[in-house]
Amino acid sequence: MGVDTLDRSRVPGVAAPSEMKFPEIQDYRLQNGLRVVLWERTALPLVSLQLQFRGGASAHPAQKAGLAALTADMLDEGTSTRNALEIAGTVDLLGATLTSSAGYDASQVRLSILRDKLADGLAVMADIVMHPTFPESEFTRVRKERLDRVLQRSAEPAAMADDAFVRTLYGTDHPYGASLLGTSETLEDLVREDVESFFHARYAPGQATLVVVGDIERAALDSLLAASFAGWQGHGEDLHALPMASGAPAPGIYVVDKPGAAQSEVRVGYVAVDRKTPDYYPLTVLNTVLGGTFTSRLNLKLREEKGYTYGAGSAFDMRVAPGPFEAAAAVATPVTDSAVADFVEEIDRLSREDVPNEELERARNFLALRLPQRFESVDDVVRRLAELVLYDLPLGFYSDYVTAVQGVDAGAVRRAAERYLPVSRMIIVVAGDRKEVESSLASLDLGPVVVLGPVATPGASESNPSREE
Amino acid sequence: MGILDVPFTRHRLDNGLRVVLSHDPTAPVVAVNLWYGVGSRNEAPGRTGFAHLFEHMMFQGSLHVPKNRHFELVERAGGSLNATTWYDRTNYFETLPSNQLELALWLESDRMGWMVPAMDQEKLDNQREVVKNEKRQRYDNQPYGDWDERLHRMVYPERHPYRHTVIGSMEDLDAATLDDVASFFATYYVPSNAVLTVAGDFDPDRTLRLVEAWFGEIPGGDPIPPLPGEPSLPPLIGDTVRDEVVGDVPLPRVIVGTRIPPYSVDGFAVAEVARSVLGTGRASRLYRRLVRERRVAKDVTTYAFPLLTGAGMLLTWATGYPGSKPEELEAALAGEMEGLADATSDEVERAVAVTETDLVRSLERVGERADLLSMFELYFNDPGRLNTEIDRLRAVTPEQVRGFAAERLGADNRAVLTYIPGDDR
Repeated sequence: MGVDTLDRSRVPGVAAPSEMKFPEIQDYRLQNGLRVVLWERTALPLVSLQLQFRGGASAHPAQKAGLAALTADMLDEGTSTRNALEIAGTVDLLGATLTSSAGYDASQVRLSILRDKLADGLAVMADIVMHPTFPESEFTRVRKERLDRVLQRSAEPAAMADDAFVRTLYGTDHPYGASLLGTSETLEDLVREDVESFFHARYAPGQATLVVVGDIERAALDSLLAASFAGWQGHGEDLHALPMASGAPAPGIYVVDKPGAAQSEVRVGYVAVDRKTPDYYPLTVLNTVLGGTFTSRLNLKLREEKGYTYGAGSAFDMRVAPGPFEAAAAVATPVTDSAVADFVEEIDRLSREDVPNEELERARNFLALRLPQRFESVDDVVRRLAELVLYDLPLGFYSDYVTAVQGVDAGAVRRAAERYLPVSRMIIVVAGDRKEVESSLASLDLGPVVVLGPVATPGASESNPSREE
Repeated sequence: MGILDVPFTRHRLDNGLRVVLSHDPTAPVVAVNLWYGVGSRNEAPGRTGFAHLFEHMMFQGSLHVPKNRHFELVERAGGSLNATTWYDRTNYFETLPSNQLELALWLESDRMGWMVPAMDQEKLDNQREVVKNEKRQRYDNQPYGDWDERLHRMVYPERHPYRHTVIGSMEDLDAATLDDVASFFATYYVPSNAVLTVAGDFDPDRTLRLVEAWFGEIPGGDPIPPLPGEPSLPPLIGDTVRDEVVGDVPLPRVIVGTRIPPYSVDGFAVAEVARSVLGTGRASRLYRRLVRERRVAKDVTTYAFPLLTGAGMLLTWATGYPGSKPEELEAALAGEMEGLADATSDEVERAVAVTETDLVRSLERVGERADLLSMFELYFNDPGRLNTEIDRLRAVTPEQVRGFAAERLGADNRAVLTYIPGDDR
């Protein structure tokens, strides 16, 4: 009970954690080829849906960077029976959220809605997926908005660093080498017909999976789908394998000049690994130790010990094809060189020394015990399931997750570090005030300093602009 | 009765700590959430930004918890945690697997009761640098990054507690001492100035006993001193006041600040609905007319600051295209704001519907549920306002929205901040 034996000098003892129970997930196909994945959850009168199509920015040539996102953005700009304002107004009146977007490997339409409004919401969702008309004048406006977003982001140091990082890693011929927004050059060249043909190739039931989570039973769902998606047919185009990144860039320090910048945005990384890697679990634990949480090594060193930054972290961005490993922070300009040295040392140290037991256990527990939190909302569950579908993983993946994470030992982490954190193959990108940082970076002995031209990046979400600290 | 029925019970310990318990065993997770009735509005002159710096210091350890241990223990337990500072309050929160509830109670009670003995100069210096880097990253190194500092100076008069922003001044932070940390703690971080909410999967009786055990022995504290400066102010700015920045921004942007009723009165709900008619979603007036039909703006944003003291603030902004004339953007924004004087019932219905689903969705997470219950208890002594929030919005009539527009959205209540691309050096 703990009440009678209260002792402030010790961590309170706890009972064993309750295990997370996963419901049976229904997985079936409709007669038009559409795969449906359903997880019923009745806690609140909500339903969340994601209609996900294979293929995003990596399904078109790199020279058309921005096309997948632009196509997704155009879906709700008008259909054969509703104009854009009618779509937006109807969705708002339903109290629903209907959005469409594209990533590198998939395009998706999401609907989140109160259960009682589901039929009306599905009707609009089906309409924008089946009958968009891509009006020329809306295309012109949307493309212009996106071009100006490129311009706007070109003044943001974090975006400058992100863009330079992926472009240097992948080059301009690989779809992962540009932001999802595209560049001003590629966007300028896109025409309405590009959108139409990308739409027809990707947005077909044969390429799609509908993930549904919430307060709805299969029979009710099926009859709603039959009504709203009646007559939807087609296979679309199958995807081709992605090219490999064209030759690794020369290791070294790449500087994007931002005169007068208040900080330096630092990125360290290389082209690492895809999501189907057999080393998924060791890599996930490894990254948790290095930069996945507040008490990871990078943040404790660069923030809590040195005070160089507001926060430092790292991630393996695992995709259908190998995505980047990236360690990142915004650091004070005068300590840019010291921060870069600390990044390199902390990354490299994981290949040289075993992670101590206490630290390893903390990382494993962080991942394993936090699992219920990652399934809290219906939107969370939809995202988890849609990811499994995208990477062709079993839907029961998370039933084995805890055991698999807890099975990762220090040797496995060390081997993963030796293989997947090769400091000698990494590049370092710094977006900051060149005249303040260039000479000290050059004296770090981490390769030549190359000055890059500025680039632009994809749009951030626009939400509540007020700032809590 | 609205569609919301979040259960809760209220309790008060002898030392004045208010406790809200909201039981829901749906998922094996529990949220512990603390709101302290102190924010940047309580800062003395010369100490702006201190409430926020203090929040950082609360993670630097307490008598029984060494530096970094707080984060380590929660992460090791599979939890997540953070804290935020705002004008009127500071909140601290953890979400954990439900068997770890007592860990959070131990950690939160230790820093509520025994934070000061663990403080030292090195920790203060370290976190001061962290906060300076936070300001550089989120304000100084962002285009338009100083907008809220400038806007608050125009909307709120000299000596008003909202005249300065939460991040405050770096010079003031430099002046902060360990004595400031100790006295701020003794004044504001007392049980009688705090609300503790536990939400999610837990045993209510046992939890109440645990809360009493961990928090009950902490001394209650003196009444909170009155706010510094002059909290009362006229409902309107009284004129159109202006500020213009020519600088390193890629596109022109016009930002309008308006005094609105404070969050503590019913008039705020009217302002919130009016704001939503104006700016929420693609069917809103600003998006429809300025972005889509007239194509004078690339994007529009609105936000109603829910502030307690004297007046809240309605924020409205529009970003132009390259070469847009700022005076045309301003005229377009002003025209739509004044035009709300003909708001229709359809528009009001749409605005309320959007807000309603947003609220229901936010309640899916125990952490957000706990946060809202803490807020309503701290601000209104009534966590039950969470369940009636929708009803208050639904009660707003088109006439009230039109009246709000006529009274508040005119040229006599406008702070206009303009950013123009150009050379600032």
